[in-house]
Amino acid sequence: MGLLMANGQQCSLDLKGHIEDADSKEKLSGATVFIDSLGLVLTTDERGDFIFKGLCPGTYRLRVSHVGCETIEEEVALNKNRHVDINLPHLKNTLSEVTINSLSGIQNTGTKNELSGRALEATKGESLAEALSRINGVSMLQTGSTISKPVIHGLHSNRILTINNGVRQEGQQWGNEHAPEIDPYIAGKLTVIKGVDELKYGSDAIGGVILVEPKPLLGLPGYNAELNAGYFTNNQLYVVSGLFEQQLKALPAFTYRLQGTFRKAANVTTPNYRLNNTGLEEQNFSVTAGWKKHQLNSELFYSFFNTQLGIFKGAHIGNLSDLREAIAGGQPDAVFTGQNTYHIERPRQEVRHQILKSKTILQKGKHKYSLLLSAQINDRKEFDIVRNSNNKSPQMDISLVTFSEELTREWITGKNFTHTAGINSVQQENQYAGRYFIPYYKSLNLGAFYIVKWNKEKWDIQSGVRFDQKNINTNRLLADSVVFDQYTFNFSTLGASLNAGYAFTKQLKVNGTITLATRAPYVNELLSNGIHHGTATYEIGNINLKEEQSINTSLNMSWRNSSETFSIQGTVYRNQINNFIYQQPKPNEPVLTIAGAFPKWVYQQNNAVLSGTDITTRLQPVKSLTWTIKYAMLRATNRDLRDWLIRMPADRIQNELSWDFKDGKRWSKTFVSAEMVYIAEQTRVPDEKNGEQDYKAAPEAYTLVNATLGTTVELFKLPITVSITARNMFNVVYRDYLNSMRYFTDEMGTNIQLRLKIPFKHLH
Amino acid sequence: MKKNILRMSLVLVTATLLLNACKKDKPGEGNDEEVITTMNLRFTPVGGGTVSNYTFDDPDGPGGATPTKSVITLNASLTYDVQLTLLNKTVTPVEDVTTEIIAEADAHRFYYQPSATSAINVSNLNNDGNGIALGTTSRWTTGTTGLGTIRITLRHYASNPPNKAGADPVDSPKSDTDIEVIFDTAIL
Repeated sequence: MGLLMANGQQCSLDLKGHIEDADSKEKLSGATVFIDSLGLVLTTDERGDFIFKGLCPGTYRLRVSHVGCETIEEEVALNKNRHVDINLPHLKNTLSEVTINSLSGIQNTGTKNELSGRALEATKGESLAEALSRINGVSMLQTGSTISKPVIHGLHSNRILTINNGVRQEGQQWGNEHAPEIDPYIAGKLTVIKGVDELKYGSDAIGGVILVEPKPLLGLPGYNAELNAGYFTNNQLYVVSGLFEQQLKALPAFTYRLQGTFRKAANVTTPNYRLNNTGLEEQNFSVTAGWKKHQLNSELFYSFFNTQLGIFKGAHIGNLSDLREAIAGGQPDAVFTGQNTYHIERPRQEVRHQILKSKTILQKGKHKYSLLLSAQINDRKEFDIVRNSNNKSPQMDISLVTFSEELTREWITGKNFTHTAGINSVQQENQYAGRYFIPYYKSLNLGAFYIVKWNKEKWDIQSGVRFDQKNINTNRLLADSVVFDQYTFNFSTLGASLNAGYAFTKQLKVNGTITLATRAPYVNELLSNGIHHGTATYEIGNINLKEEQSINTSLNMSWRNSSETFSIQGTVYRNQINNFIYQQPKPNEPVLTIAGAFPKWVYQQNNAVLSGTDITTRLQPVKSLTWTIKYAMLRATNRDLRDWLIRMPADRIQNELSWDFKDGKRWSKTFVSAEMVYIAEQTRVPDEKNGEQDYKAAPEAYTLVNATLGTTVELFKLPITVSITARNMFNVVYRDYLNSMRYFTDEMGTNIQLRLKIPFKHLH
Repeated sequence: MKKNILRMSLVLVTATLLLNACKKDKPGEGNDEEVITTMNLRFTPVGGGTVSNYTFDDPDGPGGATPTKSVITLNASLTYDVQLTLLNKTVTPVEDVTTEIIAEADAHRFYYQPSATSAINVSNLNNDGNGIALGTTSRWTTGTTGLGTIRITLRHYASNPPNKAGADPVDSPKSDTDIEVIFDTAIL
């Protein structure tokens, strides 16, 4: 405060705001609004409004609390009188978040989709990709029921950046059966962003960026604890996750949080048979410590993720004739089904990921500096079926160590501009032992970005640019020789984005984005060479690959009627990718080995276009009833071959009806919902006139019904939330085009999921 | 205040430096212990005669150079004792994989499938400890004349216990393929 005054700035700005219940749109009176850095506190009036007068320009962190709600924080940039709308999710959305819809302030309106509150709660116990697939436009690429990775508008793996609590996650994301190494219980909010804000994290986010963000640390002295438990009947999955955080009264600058999750599941059951060796076991924990005093805010974070995953044995393939036989069966042989056990044997994966991060933010008037340092270690071990039963070692063992340093500065100029600039450096070293798939490498990435956002009345324009320089040195000891196979690669990648938003009225908003992203080929695309046992293919990299470049244009429109009983939000996009890297089967050039002949797949580049639309409508005919319809469609073509691209999500429609009951004396937030998901058959697959492109035709369309009943009951003065969900309620037999196990097995049958949440809170 | 920041950043920078110092530093060295590069068949005519060897050889392992494969040329109306050997030539010294197979005989089985025109009959496969065929040694009987192929498959039972049974066909779902080599054959 003293510093601010000393700057002699004009401190006469007003920050007005309005707080509503995010779901019921009820005005929240009596909510407390803090600006901790200034020691200011206000309560909202009966209209849910508040006003802070005489503020200096700068960025402030608002802390909002309300009876029966979580304490939440949000940053607001202030350089002129401003009004903010804050939607406060009520208790059924206990893992809550605030969305600020700015009317006259600078606030990002770029392309983003969030999953939080009740919708996120409903995914607890499931994997990160399963949770994300609730967002319209996001689907999953699966290897069975337990390994899944997110697909955004048809793109996945290294084309998506995952930002885990501010750190760009560096794992072995190149493999289709390599799931993100993240505990979903860390997240208080999952966000998919596209456009300008991508550039903060890399120039290579061709498919988009996923943000996994924890809740802000506790802002008041006292403690908060939360216990989550779940049990899923299908594979007898049980999960326990706990959180404890505290701010000491004697040392209010210091806050810490401990969090941990244990998850274990037995074999998965399809409607007709149980799949052997499809269990999982996961142990995760994280520790966060925060220090906040005056303008300094520092955070130290460590997380440990450890998972063991069984792979269905009937899909472990010795050679091509075995594969054809397994596929021809239609149903897995009886020797691969029927065991009900938690025991996991070969083939299996063991993946461990550790992150150590420190973030320090220094706020000085209109300037904010942050320094982010992080270290990550990713260990991935794959245990194949081996000849020698005494062999206890993994057949593939890769470990990737990543260090990154990043310095960013945010500042405000004039009345309407906010700027963000940053530089970063990433060092990586990858080691392997056992079967060769990708080489040893060392890489160095240097990057710099600049983003500017401008806002005036109904306009909101933002743009940014980023440049990265990447150097990769690879090394591979060739079999039975002392000769190393060494390569050096240098890639320069440029990213840029322009976004313009215009609010015709408070109800109708339009937003257009054009983004250029460039991705350097990954080492597996350059240098992989070997048999891929999951698919019985011989995969060969291509050292001549060039950078992949995408120009993504998208247009978003949102409209809601004034009574807010109807809203529609639509996105239309066209992503043109030049030098799109993909694997092309070479059916006429099999690779002969002692185990038989394997189909050869080589990496090559073509120009591709992925275009489509996502539409979400929400209808609230009466106060208690909400009907949500989501539609997603994608067309993905290889322009050079004039053909469809393989493994792209089929069209889908989701219908959800939900009924919210009136709160009773002890029961509150009671709701019942039913959802119908229709996934069309993927008829747009590569033409087979030039030889076989796939082992089996795409599966038929299917419809699933899911239903949930949830409530919060006051017991021992604690608001205990319980819910029961039935997924695939009618035990439908189906296979999904994006699941590589579709060649062998059906998908999971009915799964009844029970969830329990107990929050303990004591704040002074 | 300023001192505080300095102290903080110092601690953090030291922490990352320490982590940096802890990391391993070894070059990329791959070693796939599961590789079989070579199958050798040693033919000894029963009752005396010249011993001959026929080989499938892929010394650099899967991928890389194309493997070489000899044509099995046998004399008409003769009986041979055949000894099968598997080698891994990607390591020095060359590893004999056959001993490993014999050590776990109850989880492995060779199948010999001569084509109809080959005029070869394979019998007398040696057994594992449970009296079920293993097939590292066998007896081949030739007809008067023939040109054809023989498919030699090594199947591996991965489950524990292996549950290997005499009646298991070559494509039994209980086992999967470790080796599948098709030799051309000629009876002269």
